[in-house]
Amino acid sequence: MNSAIELSGVSWRAGKSFELKDISLNVPVGSIYGFLGPNGSGKTTTIRTFMGMLKPDRGEISVLGHTVPKDMKRILARIGYVPERPHVYPALTVAEQVKVHASFFENWDPGWSAELMARLSVDPSRKISRMSKGETGKLLLLLALSQRPDLLVLDEPTDGLDPVVRRDVLSAVLDYVSERSATVFISSHLVHELERICDWVGVMDQGRLVAELPMQRFKNGIKRLRIADAPEATDAAPFTLLSRRRDNGAGSLETWIVRDWEPPMRHYFDGVGATVRDVIDLDLEEGFVELLRSSRPQHTNGS
Amino acid sequence: MYQSLLFLHWKQIRHVLALLVVASFALPLLAVHGLGSAVPGMDVPSLEAYRFVSGFQAWLIFYPLLAAGIGITLALSAWNWDHQLKHVYALSLPMTRWEYTLQKMLAGATLAVVPVLGMWLGSHVAVASISLPEGLNAYPNELAVRFLFAILLAYAAFFAAAAGTVKTTLWVVGSILGLLVFGAIANDVLGYYVVYFSRVHVVESVIQWMAYAPGPFEVFTGSWSLIDV
Repeated sequence: MNSAIELSGVSWRAGKSFELKDISLNVPVGSIYGFLGPNGSGKTTTIRTFMGMLKPDRGEISVLGHTVPKDMKRILARIGYVPERPHVYPALTVAEQVKVHASFFENWDPGWSAELMARLSVDPSRKISRMSKGETGKLLLLLALSQRPDLLVLDEPTDGLDPVVRRDVLSAVLDYVSERSATVFISSHLVHELERICDWVGVMDQGRLVAELPMQRFKNGIKRLRIADAPEATDAAPFTLLSRRRDNGAGSLETWIVRDWEPPMRHYFDGVGATVRDVIDLDLEEGFVELLRSSRPQHTNGS
Repeated sequence: MYQSLLFLHWKQIRHVLALLVVASFALPLLAVHGLGSAVPGMDVPSLEAYRFVSGFQAWLIFYPLLAAGIGITLALSAWNWDHQLKHVYALSLPMTRWEYTLQKMLAGATLAVVPVLGMWLGSHVAVASISLPEGLNAYPNELAVRFLFAILLAYAAFFAAAAGTVKTTLWVVGSILGLLVFGAIANDVLGYYVVYFSRVHVVESVIQWMAYAPGPFEVFTGSWSLIDV
């Protein structure tokens, strides 16, 4: 088994308003896979398809070597899940919720649970309905980690949390991964948050997976080029051109945003009579924005 | 897992359940000692047995009503938190959907035993507190069993109805009502052409069959008398 999660041609439609379109993604075992995308891009819906909560209209899904939804019971026993919105019972205390949750998972580790409770400063006597967003976030992570899962699925786990809690949550995840070599699938729209921890990244937009690549390539491979005498056709280019625009008042200069860039690719421009004036690194957020911009349909009506 | 689901259901309904247990305990006592009933400890002449029994009649309607109320309350509360949490927690647990539903249903059915015990105890206390006229007998155990079956029937029906979305429930209820209306109209139209149908009322017969022996809802319309001949 090389993939912890594998989706192949998955489509799902919710009325006329939204659909997942032909999603194929591959999360390598042992990786920390960042699932990026703006709000409403389909991240949570994609997660719900491989968690067996939604039945796709088309496509195949396997998780931890088992088929979804056929082997869902075995799959879910090995997944620690932190959903986008708290899914725990508000009328319970932390200790009650932990006890209830533990009864469903064979691999539940009570010692580890107690350790996490102390480390994350979660008060076991506290009623869940009275907990702050940060406290609830820590409880959800505690529940997910105490199961000793092989796969952690975290859907916007730090959304709305203050920086201190966010750091606590992420460091607990990283410690667990380094100890257990588990796979982590973490969705977020906070690009910088994932930049530090992920080794793979998938980018969703408008129900489509627009890119999937190692984080290193994502960070280093998206560049802004300033080109003199740029060619019209780019079919033979060894990189992917995301966007191009003519610089105002700069003669024949154009700015290109390219993906999968490597320094030897400069020679391509020599061959087409163009010159690379500058190669500018984009930070992850800029790269992310350019990637989304290039993936969206171009409007030609002047808007 | 069953214990956890039982705990969750109990945690949610415990205050309401306590009231329902008190009501179940009190109802037989009220029927015996309440308005229109015999005076506690009074020796009733055997000739007045009929008047004694008829004093309970006014209270009989409350038994099936209470049973239905308990069944419906248990059923709706069984799914209440799941609906609130959009079923995400339940669906993330390593259980098949039918296992989860079955265990949840069993947990609710277990809780139904608590008011039944209240009713059983209340019936025994009520019977012990009076002198029965000659020729009359008390049926506290039978009453408790009927109470249990009535609760379970209401619980099962509403548990199934409440499991779906509001849309699904409306579809099911709408379909049943639609079928009844269609049956009544079809009966009238056919009765205009065929004499046999002018004498038979299909919908009414179906409802009668459902509500009285050997129909499934007979448990509600049967004898609820704690004290009878």
